[in-house]
Amino acid sequence: MSAATIERSLWVVLAAFMIAVPWLIPALINSFWVSVIAEILIWSLFAASVNLLFGYVGLLSFGQALYFGFGMYGVAIGIQDFHLSFWPAFGLGIVASMAMAFLTGIFAVRLTWHYFAIITVVFSLIFYFLALTNKWLTGGDDGINFSLPPTFNVGGFNKSLTDSTFQYFFILVTVTFCLWLMQRLIASPLGKALVAIRDNDVRASLIGLNVYRLRLIAFVLAGFLAGVAGALFAFFGRYASASYMFYHVSGEAVVWAIVGGAGTLLGPLVGTTLFIIVREVVSTHWEHHSLIVGAVAVLVVLFAPKGVVGSWNDWIARIAERAEAPSVTAKLRTDP
Amino acid sequence: MSEPVLHTEGLTKRFGGLTAVDNLRFSLDGSRLHAIIGPNGAGKTTFFNLVSGLLTTSAGRVFFRGQDITGLRPHQISRLGIKRTLQIKSVFPKLTVAENLWITRRAGHGALHPFRAAMTDRETTQTVQHTLAQIGLSALANRQAGTLSYGDVALLEIGMAVISAPRLLLLDEPTCGMSPAETERAVDKIRELARTIDIIIIEHDMEVVFEIADDITVMAQGAILASGIPKDIAADERVREAYLGRDEDEDYVEEAAHAQA
Amino acid sequence: MDKLFLLAMNGLIWGLIIALIALGLAIIFGLLDIINLAHGDFFMVGTVLAWATLQSTGSFWLAFIVAPLVGFLLGALIQRLIIQPIHNAAALSIVATFGLSLILQESVRITYGPTPGRILSPIPGTMPMFGVDYEVYRLFAAAVAILLIGGFFLFLNHTQLGTWMRAVRHDRDTAVAMGIPAGRVYVLTFGIGFALAAVGGVVAAPITTVDFRGGVDILPFCFMAVIIGGLGNLPGTAAAAVLLAFLEGIIQSVADPTVARIASLVLMSAVLLLRPQGLFKGFTR
Repeated sequence: MSAATIERSLWVVLAAFMIAVPWLIPALINSFWVSVIAEILIWSLFAASVNLLFGYVGLLSFGQALYFGFGMYGVAIGIQDFHLSFWPAFGLGIVASMAMAFLTGIFAVRLTWHYFAIITVVFSLIFYFLALTNKWLTGGDDGINFSLPPTFNVGGFNKSLTDSTFQYFFILVTVTFCLWLMQRLIASPLGKALVAIRDNDVRASLIGLNVYRLRLIAFVLAGFLAGVAGALFAFFGRYASASYMFYHVSGEAVVWAIVGGAGTLLGPLVGTTLFIIVREVVSTHWEHHSLIVGAVAVLVVLFAPKGVVGSWNDWIARIAERAEAPSVTAKLRTDP
Repeated sequence: MSEPVLHTEGLTKRFGGLTAVDNLRFSLDGSRLHAIIGPNGAGKTTFFNLVSGLLTTSAGRVFFRGQDITGLRPHQISRLGIKRTLQIKSVFPKLTVAENLWITRRAGHGALHPFRAAMTDRETTQTVQHTLAQIGLSALANRQAGTLSYGDVALLEIGMAVISAPRLLLLDEPTCGMSPAETERAVDKIRELARTIDIIIIEHDMEVVFEIADDITVMAQGAILASGIPKDIAADERVREAYLGRDEDEDYVEEAAHAQA
Repeated sequence: MDKLFLLAMNGLIWGLIIALIALGLAIIFGLLDIINLAHGDFFMVGTVLAWATLQSTGSFWLAFIVAPLVGFLLGALIQRLIIQPIHNAAALSIVATFGLSLILQESVRITYGPTPGRILSPIPGTMPMFGVDYEVYRLFAAAVAILLIGGFFLFLNHTQLGTWMRAVRHDRDTAVAMGIPAGRVYVLTFGIGFALAAVGGVVAAPITTVDFRGGVDILPFCFMAVIIGGLGNLPGTAAAAVLLAFLEGIIQSVADPTVARIASLVLMSAVLLLRPQGLFKGFTR
């Protein structure tokens, strides 16, 4: 059984599982967990935005919550204040987060390393405080609650996210689509260029790559992912609050992405799943689950910096290598 | 002879109180392999950095085939056809050898499509295969560049320099750190390339220099000490005093000085 | 006018305390190249240690010995066990300090509890100043902060360890070649950084709350001081801390405190983008 076959079968199992969730989970546990899984998907997308920048471009952003917030508020304010229907509100959230990513990215991407990480936090703090003080618009920490317009209202076909099964599938399809886009990006010439820049940015500029422009593009795309996550979150909870723009939220996503495995496609999903399940399970008995988050973060950084998926890939690669090696020694034995 | 391929006027670079390159007037004619030699700190790499755009000039201008390229950013200068290797061998360690060549080729040519799969670009893939064969690294195509031996990294660098169809190639100490066998391989490649590409090479290995250079420029303390064909340089007293006075170089120097031009 | 004086004075004194804490961050950031997201929590631990010392011994003053000592030991331990092994991966150390921050906050929440508490001022009473009855303890706090900051600079410039720290920060490889034990310097630096934040916590405890979230607000402020003052510029960091707190205090007299904070953050962004070496030049070394 080759590594590729193992991987492909795992994908099939995963896909089958994800599709069966709305019926499988209530049968095995209870229906509450269907919405937990939906929430996991949303946060995985958010972690994926961190992963895109850190794992593939080499930029550690601690401020993705800003774009999540703009996606979230784009939907909430769009519905409540502009009386938009579902899709225009969704669009507003996405456009707002991408625009924000562009405007902040122009400045942030000029910096590297520590200063980049610091300025992403600073920008997100500025807007967090702005959101806090402008309660008339954002509801501050208490947030805005709004009622959900239907997603599809065409002819006789009326579907709304209040139907939890439909909601689950809507989120599943959206998140899968975004992750698929991200995968296409990584495999494209643009994606290869980004990885080259991460590896050696001086060399990249010497071979003709416009490092600044490419980093900015990646930053806006990450803003897109975070914005979609934020918009989905608003729809999911019919709620938006400034507290989701705080740097702790960004920081947790960074931990999820790294524990899951930076630079891998499924890493953010794995990391997010782990932590949210721990949170849900632990918080019913013990309220200090943040302690576990912190401890795991430290332990992973010390002992398994490639994360779960990264270490798994390494392990698979080592097995594949060992499978090849015997043929080499066999050849040597036939030499005179 | 038409205009020089590379030409600098009054090129100067100051770092605070230190003048690394001082009022340099350099000229490279086409179809000649030009070597720049000189003691450490002479300003040779700084010169390359100025030409390739990694450093901004304090004064003076740089002309490439008549076009003023002073002040352009590195990726813009690269796209004009000036490619260089770095003194400390530098490739993309996490990419494979083939991917290194692949991205170098695409970076210099046209747009980077964000969503179409990279591997469908047959033209580039074929060029990569061809270059791999040229530099002799076909067997290592799928190895991560970071795991290569030093000599192979140097060859990869040369391959990357070549695959982008350079109009001017700047090689910064290409044989530095190589074993004699690796040096021989690299020298053969460089000689081959010099047949079709204009090359400027910074070198410390006098044997290599006197073997392949058509013109030699000697730099010291940021300025040009002497410039000319190998025979004349070898015979130049100032040069011998300042730089060539080492026993192991004696033979080549003697040979070059008495060689037919 | 009274309100302005009060807020300006409070800002000035708070700035002196922050300067103390920020200097701890400056040596950690400047020397070890680490963005220490747990630094605010080091301060918070200091306030808790002050409270604990007061509870168990009845003396607040003892905390001035307990807190820096415990802080130093904890800092040295953290450096040795967590930071040292991942020294090469800068991004991972940010994550590690974030994890550390969570651990510290939750540990305090578990042991001390979630409700914020107060420490009674050890020097009660007020003193008339410029038409306002000003708290004596605050003046005392300012004096203590100035003394400690001065002591720190004396230490840095006149002791062997201080010289070693400056040498390693200036040029690590040369320092090692000269026989300076860089590894040990790193451990001691982190310990001193924690200790500075902790003692800052003690000084601040009577005029702020003892709360497991107490570090969250301090952290950005310290980074502002370090960046605006200039990385590697220790006197600059101290000066920036005082200046920022003072300015925020003044702005608070006419606007929302959040507005003051936003203004500081915008200034910090400007410095990062336009003048990353900081606003105060010529103070370095």
